[in-house]
Amino acid sequence: MHRLRERPIWMLTPATLAIFVIVLVPVVLTIWLSLLNVNVSTLREWLGAPFYGVQNFVNAFTQPSTLGVTLWWSIFISFAFSLLTTVIITPIGMLAAFSVHRRFRGRGLVRAVYLIPYTIPTFVTALTARVVFLNGSGLVDKVLGALGITNGQTYWLIGPHAYWAMQLTEVWATWPFIYLMTLAGLQAIPKEHYEASALDGATKAQRIRHIIVPELSGVLKLAMLLSTIFHFGNFTLAFVMFSSPPPPGAELLPIAAYYNAFNFFDFGAAAAIAVVTMVILLVPAYIYMRSTRLAGGLK
Amino acid sequence: MAQVTAAVETAGPDLARRAGRSAWPLRRRKPPVAQMGEADLLLPMWLSRLIIVAILVAVIVPVGYMVLMSMTPNYDVASGVISFATLTLQNYSSMWSVAPLAQGLVNTLIIAGSSAALSVLVGLMAAYPLTRFTFRGRHAYLYTLIGVQTVPGTTLVLPLFAVFSWVQTTLSVHMIGSYFPIILTYMTFGVPLSTWLLVAYMRSVPRDLDEAALVDGCSQLGALIRVIFPVMLPAVVVAFLFAFLVGWNDVLFASVFTNQNTQTLAIALERFSSTSSESGLPVYGELMSSAIVSAAPVVTIYLIFQRYLVHGLGSGSVTG
Repeated sequence: MHRLRERPIWMLTPATLAIFVIVLVPVVLTIWLSLLNVNVSTLREWLGAPFYGVQNFVNAFTQPSTLGVTLWWSIFISFAFSLLTTVIITPIGMLAAFSVHRRFRGRGLVRAVYLIPYTIPTFVTALTARVVFLNGSGLVDKVLGALGITNGQTYWLIGPHAYWAMQLTEVWATWPFIYLMTLAGLQAIPKEHYEASALDGATKAQRIRHIIVPELSGVLKLAMLLSTIFHFGNFTLAFVMFSSPPPPGAELLPIAAYYNAFNFFDFGAAAAIAVVTMVILLVPAYIYMRSTRLAGGLK
Repeated sequence: MAQVTAAVETAGPDLARRAGRSAWPLRRRKPPVAQMGEADLLLPMWLSRLIIVAILVAVIVPVGYMVLMSMTPNYDVASGVISFATLTLQNYSSMWSVAPLAQGLVNTLIIAGSSAALSVLVGLMAAYPLTRFTFRGRHAYLYTLIGVQTVPGTTLVLPLFAVFSWVQTTLSVHMIGSYFPIILTYMTFGVPLSTWLLVAYMRSVPRDLDEAALVDGCSQLGALIRVIFPVMLPAVVVAFLFAFLVGWNDVLFASVFTNQNTQTLAIALERFSSTSSESGLPVYGELMSSAIVSAAPVVTIYLIFQRYLVHGLGSGSVTG
């Protein structure tokens, strides 16, 4: 019977090692790299690269990178992109979830179509956007030109309109995230609550306020938080959608870090951008972890 | 999160059916208020129809346009001439020789498949003690699993590249471009994701089951393999698929850690997008047919397993 009392905590070893070696160690290394002057000549022996202090950070904030923008600009663009996306997709996703909450013929099919944009791999969405937003011959310019809204020569993929092409694509691709979370929230509301409120003769407004709003607000807050974190880290869309190097409107933090490292081989500068990204994300990540009440189902 | 998990745990077909059922027995006795189904509380019928139509159009038009472009000759796509009259499946057969798609597909299967299998194995082993025992640091461990999923990929790609190239230089081992680093890297996302999914499911497997096995003389590992694993098989499949799609969808790590021979489908396609035909025109038609072939399996898998999707989301699935 001793086996019943055995506690094979050792089984956690592989997962612990994996998280330690491929997540925690790299995070520490990034911080260290950001303090070194690691460029193309010192990259191979980066362990012995000269110590640079906060110079990488100072440079990143004060001097335009080879991409032509400073870190301030990338921070601004990343904030705008992630917050605006969340603000736009939240009502769309909620309305979508409400619209299929009622039972009707073909509901399964509608729900499946709703999911399609979210399930298409980001690199495919980005490649398609690249063709759809082609100047003059792409679908968007043809439609806008035909409607007389523009002259059909918008140059979506270069110059100042690039940000909005990227923004529109991200909205198209990610609203089903909010939809799915809202749907899960709606389904979690016990049927009995509606029945009880009906018996009590609650008015429509009362039922919305006391049954639906409290149940949904928790899920929605979480969904908006997660959505913001994910959009903040979206590298693939901007990387694949625009030719290299991407226009200033698409110089998000991940793009800036990537180009500094792998196109200009300034690893110190790239690491500084990565550290700034991490620091910014600490706040939402902390709120996310706090809001995850693990203990609930784990007793 | 707890709410989402709770929602998802019950959000099987039962609950979906329950949520869709708008009539309840008391409906007729209290007409003025109770006649209104819960769905009517949210949106009036006409508005929800309007929304459904608007969203269907917004989704289907771009996807349909993509399909049309994939069946249109390269030149016509580039000049914006899309017509039902010129549709052909030509691109779907010619694309394989224009871009190394078959090679990319094989590499994706090898890389994403190995990393998903390893992630599930590691996750299964971790989920057992995490659900079966209480020990110091268990909650901290679970919090860590969630926290690491918010670490952006660009923060990891730099130091991993530095470490892999250091190992390559110092120990003269071929690293960058080989399968090993990229498989290991995808486990960064695969392990927390699959552990979290498996923990959630293993909680619902009755402990009596493994205790019976232990009484019958199984070891803890034996109980996990022979008794829990078969019961968990559906969850294991879902965890495998979601971890697999991390590798299928990634561009960031694959663009740094693979070379001409090991490049994944995503990278083959990304490089293809900047090449042009002999006549100097972009090969957009073939690009779109390759894009459809890359997306179709993923969309299919997600639609089949859509009720598990929220779970993956709640546990912080990886995008970008």
